[in-house]
This record gives sequence, structure tokens and C-alpha cells, in this order.
Amino acid sequence: MSGSALRDSEVRHVAKLARLRLSEEEVARLSDQLGAILGHISKLNAVDVADVEPMAHPLPITNRLADDVPTAPMPIEDLLRNAPAKEGRFLAVPKVLAEGGA
Amino acid sequence: MTAAHQATSESIHQTATIARTQLKVGLEIHVELATRTKMFTRVPNVAHPDYYDAEPNSLVDPVVAALPGVLPVMNRRAVEMAIMVGLALNCDIAEFSKWDRKNYFYPDLPKGYQISQYDLPLCGDGAIDIPTRDTATGDVGTRRIGIIRAHLEEDTGKLGHELPGGHHYAGSLVDLNRAGTPLLEIVTQPDFDSAESVVEFAKELRNICRFLGVTEGIMQKGHMRFEPNVNVIIETTDGHHFATPIVEVKNLNSFRSVRGAIEFEHKRQVEEWRKTGRVMGRGMKQTRGWDDVNLVTVLQREKEDAHDYRYFPDPDLVPVTVSAEWLESIRAQLPELPIQRKKRYMESYELPAKDAQKLVDERDTCFLFDAATKLSVMGTHGGGFGGEPKAGYAIAKLLLNNVAKRGNELGKEIGELGLSAAQIAELAVMKEKGTIGAQAVDPILAALATEAGASSESVAACAERLGLVQVRDDGQLDVWCDAAIVAQPQAADDVRNGKDAAIGRLVGHVMKLSGGKVDAKSVNERLRAKLGR
Repeated sequence: MSGSALRDSEVRHVAKLARLRLSEEEVARLSDQLGAILGHISKLNAVDVADVEPMAHPLPITNRLADDVPTAPMPIEDLLRNAPAKEGRFLAVPKVLAEGGA
Repeated sequence: MTAAHQATSESIHQTATIARTQLKVGLEIHVELATRTKMFTRVPNVAHPDYYDAEPNSLVDPVVAALPGVLPVMNRRAVEMAIMVGLALNCDIAEFSKWDRKNYFYPDLPKGYQISQYDLPLCGDGAIDIPTRDTATGDVGTRRIGIIRAHLEEDTGKLGHELPGGHHYAGSLVDLNRAGTPLLEIVTQPDFDSAESVVEFAKELRNICRFLGVTEGIMQKGHMRFEPNVNVIIETTDGHHFATPIVEVKNLNSFRSVRGAIEFEHKRQVEEWRKTGRVMGRGMKQTRGWDDVNLVTVLQREKEDAHDYRYFPDPDLVPVTVSAEWLESIRAQLPELPIQRKKRYMESYELPAKDAQKLVDERDTCFLFDAATKLSVMGTHGGGFGGEPKAGYAIAKLLLNNVAKRGNELGKEIGELGLSAAQIAELAVMKEKGTIGAQAVDPILAALATEAGASSESVAACAERLGLVQVRDDGQLDVWCDAAIVAQPQAADDVRNGKDAAIGRLVGHVMKLSGGKVDAKSVNERLRAKLGR
């Protein structure tokens, strides 16, 4: 254990963003576990990267581009097969009001 | 804001006299690119005209639905289209850009994240000049708008609350046809000082995108969506300046709502400052929506962590590098843009700025104009004008006067009437050659362009059918002139005795006899010759 436990409020915040409901017990446990992981990763902070160019991708390749030529969509039955709820051709979800982020 | 600062503004905002208020607006624009396939998979794209009317959820594949194990593959054409827009906006095109995940949960976002570009956008720093219009004179100068960046991302699906047939549904219905459509987000500098200038820019940007062919720009289909960031600088008579907190108005998809929302915010923010004294600062930014029925903006309540998107580089996608060679090949695809065309029309055809502007305002009108001008000089109907400058001028006038008038009658733009460039060229040449009189143009257009669309009939056949081809037979003209002199002896005497105005009655008589098939000018000359004037 590195001893750098996350604050409970941070764990609750991350859990909320991930749509996870945690019990008090779980918050305490995850606070320790996540702290340990962060502590492990934070060893990287010791490396001096001042002169190293940030890496955008681990593979040294770029431009994997496809031509703009259509392929077949999936059958609607396949799409709706895994949906918890459907209505006609639509996936059905509990009512949400506004459009999302984009 | 410090406590002292707060105290000062509190006292001032209630008592001070406002000398002037100045709007300050920056704009974010989302443009759906009309590629054939989606941004990161090759299933058809609903923003392409071939798929506008696709059934709900018919343009979905495992990548769009975010089934486990799928991987995204970039669309080369989408990258090229984005670069074309970047070049048209004079942006720096990044030699190296990358993809990031913007994480949030929403039912219209199957993956739980949107692929976007966070810190290394494809297009950087740019600027364009937009035409500024004086409502009185029609046209004056330009205004420069700075572009901060333009980056590629993917659109979300759509949420609805209505089943086919208009039946209301209590929950939300998800249609993923739009999910994964290539989306170009353009961000301007806060260079606008009025709602009018924002709308002018929005229209110009739409026009540029249409000329580039990257979208048809159909507003009702959401091809372009606008999000103005609005605040107001309030200047008091004692020389203090206060900047109100910035408000972002989300998701406007008509020019009318852009104008309405900005004008409303201008008023609302000044009133709000009077009440609260709140000024721009950390955590003060608000998101509001536009209520199109009550014409007000409404505060959108967001959870405080709504903007904690936890961006990180997408490990599934490799970066994009743009070589000088690729960039040049894309640059070579750029068509002549509206502002360049306008300049050419003014210089080559000696058209007034106002007319040149009208021609470039609408892409289809502009293409029709160019094609008709070319045909009238070199095509089957060519040779009527002795050169392109004169032809361009005549075709412009024909389009902007007669064809526009017919368009108004039918509630359509010039380019929407369905008239072909060949018909326009033929009509202009026939008029120029005197095969038809000026008065025959409108009836011919009315016959060719109808509610149902345009007839493919040639102008010559149409003029013939309507009996509008000018009679050039001198013998026939003599017969009608003589008949008019006999029928109107008083008028004839008046002309002989030098009462010039009286000739109008005789000309009118001949026109009536001929059924309008003769040219008034030659009738006038012939009558004068006969009456010795």
C-alpha cells in the first residue's frame, strides 16, 4: 500500500461518472485499491520527460484511412435483439428531455 | 471575484446610468459532412442525399451500435472534406492530428463516448471575410471573422418521443441513423458585435459549404447547428465597464432562432446585471436553450459534473498526418468560392456589387448563371453577344429581374425553378437578337416555369407556340401601320403637326393589331417615316 488513498468524495465522483452505485463499504475499499493503483502508476512521475515528445499512439503508424464506399447495414432484427426494450423500429429508453452532448 | 470587487459592482449596478451596451458573440458551428459512409465505419451516412429518407435504425452496423470487439476505421473522404472547409476558412491545416474520447453517458451515444479531437484539431487558426449588407444600399464591404479551430468528430443518434403516425410515446425512442455521421465543429473568435453579423456569417458559411459540396446545408434536417456564446459589455456613464457572464445557447438550427436567441440574450443579460451585478468569472458560464414558441432562452439545468468528459487519446485510432502532397491535391479540388466569384462578376462583367452578391448568395442560382453565360457565348445558342462580358451582364439581368420575378410568383429561388442553363441562354440570345421583344420574356418564363417544375421545351418552340416571335416582315408591318393611321386620323395629324406624344396612340394601335409580335421601336420608326417626321 502506498498510503495515497483517494478521498471518499473523489471515489464517489468517479463512481457517479461511471454510473456505479457504491455502498459505504465499497467506497472505503475502492478508495484504498484505487489509491494503490495510482500510487503504482505515479512512479512514472519520477521520469524526466521534459524533452520527450508526447506520444499520441503506441504504434508508429498513421493514416489508416478507408475509401468512402458503403457496405451493408445490419438487419434491424439483429440490432433490436439485444435491446432491453424496443418500440417499432426504435430502441426504447426511459424518457430523457434534451439532446445529448455532441 | 474578490469581495471588494463584488461590493463595488453591487453598488454600481443598481445606481449607475448605462451609457451603452455592446454585444460580444463567438459561434460554434456543427456541420454534418455529406460523405457516403460514416466517420468511422462504412455503413451509409444519413447526411448524404441518397439516404435522407432512410427508415429509423436502418443505417446501423456493429460499429455504430458499439457491439463488443468492433474497431473504428477513418473515412478518407471525411478528412478531405474537413480539410477543404479548413482551407476555405484560411485555416492552418495540421500536419499531425489525433483522436480523443469524450466520455459521457446518454442514450443517443451507444459507445458511452464520442470520438472527437481535443488538443490537436485538424484545422487551426484561420479567418474569413464575410460580406456585410446595408439594407438600404444592398451592399457594402466585408468584415473579418477569426476562426479558432475546426475539428472532426462523430454525430450522436437522435432521441424522439413520437411513433410513426404521430402517436406520442411516454419514453424516449432512439434512432441511431445519425450516430457516427462525420461532424465538423468550427469555432470562431468572439468577433461578432450584433445578431445580424452572426447571421450573415452563418449564411456565408452555409453557402461556402454548399459550394464546396461538403453538405447540402438543409437546415430543417439539422445539417448545420449553431451555438452562440453571448455576453454583453456594459459601459456606464462614469466610464466603468462590466462584462456579463457568458451564456452558451445550445443547438439552434435556423437563422431565425440564431438571431432571436442573441437579441434576447442581449436584453436579458443587461436586465440580469441590473438585478444581480454578476459579471464574467470562473463558474459563471451558463447553458441555455431557445424556446421557439415563446421566443425566450431558458436555463438548462445541468449536473455540476456534466462537463467532466475525461478526454483521453483513443487507442483504437492512429493519428492523421497530412503531407504537403496530399494537402495540395485537396487544394486542387477547391471550387471557386462565393467571394472570388463575386469579384470576378464585378470585374469581368461590370456588374454592380449588389447584383454580383445576389448571384453568389445561392449556389444553384450561381451555377445556373455561370453555365448559361458560357452557353450563350459558345454553345448552340452562342454568338448572340459578341463576347462573355456582355453575355454575363445580360444573363445576370435576365436572372435577377425576370427569372427572380417568376421565382417570387412561385415562392422559389431562381435555381429551384428547374430551368436549364440552355433555356436561360437561349432566352437571353433571342432577346438580344430581337427574335423576341423584351415584353415577351415574362410570358415565356411563365409558360416554361410552373408550379409543377420546368418544361423542357426549347425557348424557340415556346415563343412560337405563344405567338411571341417578332414579325420581321416589312410588308406586314406596313399594312399594320397604314391601318393604324387610317383608324386614328386625329393622332396621325397631331404627329404630322409636331405633337410628338401623339405617336404613342398609333404605336399602341399597331401593337394591338400585331398581338404584340412587333418591336415597338421599329413600329415607332416606321410610323414616323410614313408621317414625314
